Amino acid sequence: MAATAPALQQDDAAVVFPRRRRRKLGVYGLLVPAAILMGVALGYPLVRQFVISFQEYGLRQQFGQPAEWVGLQNYTELLTDPYVWTVIGRSIAFCLVNAAVTMLVGVAFAVLMTRIGKASRITLQVALLLAWGTPVLASMTVWQWLFDSQYGVINYVLAHVFGLDDMAGHSWIIQPLSFYFVATVIVVWMSVPFVAFSVYAGLLQVPEETMEAAQLDGASSRQRFWNITIPMVRPVLSIVLLLQVIWDFKVFTQIYVLQRAGAPTRETNLLGTLIYSYASEFSMAGALATIMLVITLALTGFYIRQMLKEDEL
Amino acid sequence: MKILRFAAVGVAAALTLTACGTGDDAGDTPSASNGTPEPATIKLWLNGTDTPDALREYLVTTFETENPGSKLVIEEQDWSGLVPRLQTALGSADQTPDVVEIGNTQSPTFTYAGAFADITDMYDELGGEKLLQGFVDAGSADGKFYAAPYYSGARAVFYNKDAFAAAGVEVPTTLADFTEVAKKLQSDTQSGFWFPGQDWYNGAAWIYTNGGDLAVKDGDAWKGALSSPESIKGLEEVQDLFANATNAPADSDSNEPWVPFNAGQSAMFSAPTWARWSIDLPACNKAVDPDDTSDAAKALRGEQQACNEEHTGVFPLPGLDEGSFANGFAGGSNIAVAAKSKHPELAKSLVRIIFTEEFQNMLGENGLIPGNTAYSASMGDDVYAAAAVAAALNAKLTPAAEKWADVEGDRILEDFFQKLATGADVKEAAAETDQLLEDALN
Repeated sequence: MAATAPALQQDDAAVVFPRRRRRKLGVYGLLVPAAILMGVALGYPLVRQFVISFQEYGLRQQFGQPAEWVGLQNYTELLTDPYVWTVIGRSIAFCLVNAAVTMLVGVAFAVLMTRIGKASRITLQVALLLAWGTPVLASMTVWQWLFDSQYGVINYVLAHVFGLDDMAGHSWIIQPLSFYFVATVIVVWMSVPFVAFSVYAGLLQVPEETMEAAQLDGASSRQRFWNITIPMVRPVLSIVLLLQVIWDFKVFTQIYVLQRAGAPTRETNLLGTLIYSYASEFSMAGALATIMLVITLALTGFYIRQMLKEDEL
Repeated sequence: MKILRFAAVGVAAALTLTACGTGDDAGDTPSASNGTPEPATIKLWLNGTDTPDALREYLVTTFETENPGSKLVIEEQDWSGLVPRLQTALGSADQTPDVVEIGNTQSPTFTYAGAFADITDMYDELGGEKLLQGFVDAGSADGKFYAAPYYSGARAVFYNKDAFAAAGVEVPTTLADFTEVAKKLQSDTQSGFWFPGQDWYNGAAWIYTNGGDLAVKDGDAWKGALSSPESIKGLEEVQDLFANATNAPADSDSNEPWVPFNAGQSAMFSAPTWARWSIDLPACNKAVDPDDTSDAAKALRGEQQACNEEHTGVFPLPGLDEGSFANGFAGGSNIAVAAKSKHPELAKSLVRIIFTEEFQNMLGENGLIPGNTAYSASMGDDVYAAAAVAAALNAKLTPAAEKWADVEGDRILEDFFQKLATGADVKEAAAETDQLLEDALN
C-alpha cells in the first residue's frame, strides 16, 4: 500500500506546490470531528483513569466521599507485588507467542489464497470470514463446549476414536500451560482471518511484471517470495503485526470466559482479567491500566517509529 | 471492569455534552419530610426470576393503593454482572433505583460504602429480633442497619431413592455417615454425591459444621480461618468426598447439579430446594411440550412431577450428631433503600409493605424462606419445606466483611476448593488461601 503511494505524491508536489498547502489546512479541518470524538470517547476516560490512579478511589468515593490524593502509592503497591510481575510476564509471553503464531498461520493462508483455484479460494475466504464475523461470546461458548471435560467433543473423539482412555474426562483448563494452549488456539483462530485478508490484499499489489522479470532472470519461486514479495508487502506485515501485538496484549474476553468455565483464576490471570478483578478499587485498576499502557507503548514503540520512518521515505 | 466503567463514563460524558446540561434540574422535588410524601414514581430492582409474578403484582397494587398518585415500577436485573451495575447506578441520583434487592454476600460491600440509606429506626417495625440474623449482620455496618433480609433459600440434599435401594443404604443421620453413604453409592458411572471442584457454596457446610469459618475478625483486621483445626477437619472430609465419592469434574462449578442427577450419573446432589422443579428423571419423562398449555399436557406434567418426586427424596444435610443439622451456606437476598433515592419516604413505604404479614406469607408459599422468621410456617409442611426450614435455621453466611465482594471477584475460594479436588495438601493450600483472604479483606 504505502509502497506505491509516495511516488504519486512526489509528482504532485513538484507540479502544484502552492495548492498543497491549502489542501493541508483542509485536511486538518477534516480531522476535527474525529479528533473531538476521540477526545470525548477515549481522551476523557484516559485522563480520568490517569487522575484516579493517583488517588484513593474505591466504592466509598463512588458514593460521595472525597477522594484522597495518595501520590504514587498505588503504583508502588502494584510494582512491589511479585504476583503483578508474574502476570505482566505471562501477558507479554502470551502476546508474543500468539502474535507470532497468528502471523505465521495468517501469512500461510494468504499465500495459499494466491495459489489455489477460484472455487477453493472462495470457500476458504467464506470460512475465514465466518470465523472473523462470529460474535466473540457466541464462538467462545462453542469452544468451551468443544473442550468441556465431561461432554466435550474433543475428549470424546480422543477417547473413543483414538482410544486414548485417559482423555475421557480430561480437564483442558485446570493446568495453566494447558489453559494457555487452549486460549492460544482460540485467539489465533479468531485473529487469523484479519491477517490473512490484509496480507492477501497486499500480495495482490505485487506487480506481475516484476515477478515475471525476476523469473526470466532465473530466480526460483522461493527466492522470488523471500526477496521480492516479502519486502514489497513489508509495510502491510508490520502494521498487521503491530495490531496483533496490541490486541493480544490486552486480550480479555477469551481468557475471562475460559476462566469462568472452571480454570483456576489466580494461576491463569493475564493483565486484562487482573485489572477486571479490581472491580471495586478503581484507583488500583487505573494504576494497573496505566502501567499496561506504558508496557504496550514500550512493546510497540520501536515498530511505530520504524513505520513512521518508512512513511516519510 | 475498569475499562467498561470508563467506557460508560465516556458515553455518559458524550451524552451530557450533546444534551448540554440535562443536569440536576429534573425531578428535584424532594419528598416532604412530614410523613405525606409527594406522589412520584419509584423504581424497585429485583434480581432474576426469584420473585414470582404474583408477588410483583401484589407489590405494585398495594403500593399504589397506599400511596395514591404514586407509581411503582419493577425492573428485573440479571444476577450476573449485578455488582458493577449497582456500582454505577447507585452512585447517580438520576439513575438510581429507589429500592434494590442485593445478594446477601454482596451486601456488606455496599452497606460499608454508604450506598444505602440508614433504616436503623425501622428495625423493630420490620420484625426486630425475628429477622434472619445472619442477613441482618450482612446488611449492617458500624452498628447501623441498612439492608433488611428479603428471603433466604436454603440448600438441601436430593437423592435418588432407587440408587439408595440398589446400594442398600439409608438416609444418613450424621455428617460422617453422609460420607460413608456417598462412598457406598460411588461407582465408575455414578457419583455418590455430585461435588464439582469449584463448589465452595456446598463445601462451606463442612467448614461451618465442624466449627470452622472462612475468615474471622481479629480486632480491626480480618484473618483467614481456613487453617484453624476445626476448618481443617472439615476440609479433610471435603477432600475425602472429592477423592472417593464423586466423579464430578474439578473444573466445574455448582451450576445445574441436577443435570448429572437426571442422567443417572449421580445419586445425590445439594441445591436450594426449588431445584425440585428441575428434576426430570428419564423413567418419568412424558415428553410433554413445555409450551403446550392444554389440560391434557398439564395433567401429564403433573403426573411427571409426581413420578419424579416419588423417585427422589430430600433431606437437610445432617450435623455432627444424630438429629442435628449441618450449618450450610445460606443463599438469599437483602433489600435496601438507595442512599441517593430522591423519594426515600416512598421507598420506605415499599419496604414496609414487603415486611407485612401478607407479603411475607406469600414469599413462604412460593418456597422462599421469608426474611421474618415469624412467618416461616407459611412454607407448608411437605418434605421440601421441612428440609428447607431445618437447613435455613442453621444456615450461616459468608463473613460480613466490607471487602468480601473482592474475595468473590478474585475467585479465591473457587481456586481453593479446586486445589482440594485435585489432591493438593489441605494444610498447605489452606495456609496459602488464608494469606490471600487476608490480602483481599484488609
